[in-house]
Amino acid sequence: MSSDKKKMTREELGLQIIIFSLGFFYAIVYYVAAPGIVDLQAVSDQLLAYITAVLTAAFAIGVINITRVHVINIKRKRATWKYSVLLLVCLYAMAVFSMIASPYALDPQATVIPASVIAFSTPIWEFLYYKILVNINSSIFSLLAFFIASAAYRAFKARSFESTILLVAGLLVVLGQTPVADLVWPGFAAIRDWILAFPNTAGQRGILIGAALGILAFSARRLFRYPWG
Amino acid sequence: MYLLLLLVITVPVLTHSVILVPISPTTQAVYNFIDKLPPNSLVVESFDYATSVVPELHPQAIVVTQQLFLRPLKILFVALDPNGPPLADAVLDTVNKGNRTYGVDYANLGWIPNTATEIGMISNIAQFLPLDTHGTSTASLPIIKEFPAVKQAAFVITFDDDSSALYSYLQYWQGTFNISVAVGSTAIQAPGYMPLYNSGQLVGVLISIRAAAEYEALLYHQYNCCLGISGASSAMLALSTAQFLIIAMVVFANVGYFIGRRSAKKVE
Repeated sequence: MSSDKKKMTREELGLQIIIFSLGFFYAIVYYVAAPGIVDLQAVSDQLLAYITAVLTAAFAIGVINITRVHVINIKRKRATWKYSVLLLVCLYAMAVFSMIASPYALDPQATVIPASVIAFSTPIWEFLYYKILVNINSSIFSLLAFFIASAAYRAFKARSFESTILLVAGLLVVLGQTPVADLVWPGFAAIRDWILAFPNTAGQRGILIGAALGILAFSARRLFRYPWG
Repeated sequence: MYLLLLLVITVPVLTHSVILVPISPTTQAVYNFIDKLPPNSLVVESFDYATSVVPELHPQAIVVTQQLFLRPLKILFVALDPNGPPLADAVLDTVNKGNRTYGVDYANLGWIPNTATEIGMISNIAQFLPLDTHGTSTASLPIIKEFPAVKQAAFVITFDDDSSALYSYLQYWQGTFNISVAVGSTAIQAPGYMPLYNSGQLVGVLISIRAAAEYEALLYHQYNCCLGISGASSAMLALSTAQFLIIAMVVFANVGYFIGRRSAKKVE
């Protein structure tokens, strides 16, 4: 851990003051209740709402940047310009149909947008979302099954005492989770439940406490020192 | 190896065979809790998973929602993940709602955008979620007039793929108002929730698509219905064969490792 003795610039000092103030404000809100003087929780909730607005603006900047980069690709006819066209068409088509016909529709009661337009857009949005987006995302995630299979084949070897314990415990839990194995001998489920309830719980509790202490230390360090290093 | 894995998954899926799986204690705990809720209790279902884990968590959501509709309960659908509201609509299109009416017995309130809304809903739902997913004012819905605040809820179940939603419900809803919480989780997340289950913070844990198959068996035994409603029971054979293949590959790899080690020692 290197100690950074460099003097803060004015901007860094200003940022550090904001970080410090807001961090301690949220800590104080949790422990101090003075509703007769000022409703700290209401102030905290309002600030959170402003943060949500800022995050939304960040998303908008992301969309603007993607559009800018890919429009430049198309204008200059770079090697992958056709994929840029596809990306922009998919991005804006999904956005437009979502604004008309999804649970996030801007005008679900058809006050401004004609009901015929909503009726026309709804099956298209449902097809794009349920038939394309959900299935594509699920398929990409399902590729993990093959990676897990090859990783298990390569990694689960009894090279040492600890790795043997890991191997045996892992196999017993997998057997306990396998429906057919459970039907053949209920003991697999009982062993799985014992492993999850005792050794696993003990280990997870240690990890949780360690992680919580680490987050506490990092947060305190972040509040008091910018830039951190 | 990949081809073998593809075969052992695809062939059982194409046979559409159904296996009634033994029930694990964590799934039974959730089922029993919902079964024992007093009539007209408010239950909040939170859809907090992305489209990538739909195969694992969507079947859980279907079977739990079906049990909720089979009991005389009031249900609010919310989401801490932006993908939640359309997935909630998909579940509502799948289950048999009987004679329940939207707005009276259940409502889809949509996405909870931030923690301030999540905390504010505890005391006033209509103020912080003014419109439902149909654009209707939530204050005008009979279910919100009957239950204007989340603190009146008896139970919250979150289908969560990354634990952030679960921890926020435990922190803000259970911590202060002692609302019972359960979670539907992926297989990878489930071991991390065991401390919460064992300490009593969670009523139960639904683990992956197998919990959905167990739930279908429970619903079938009690209500003589709903077998195959989520497709989970027909996936159990494929799940079993795939897991057996992985176990076999691990055993085979270890046998090869020990044979190789013995050969190396002999050469020395």
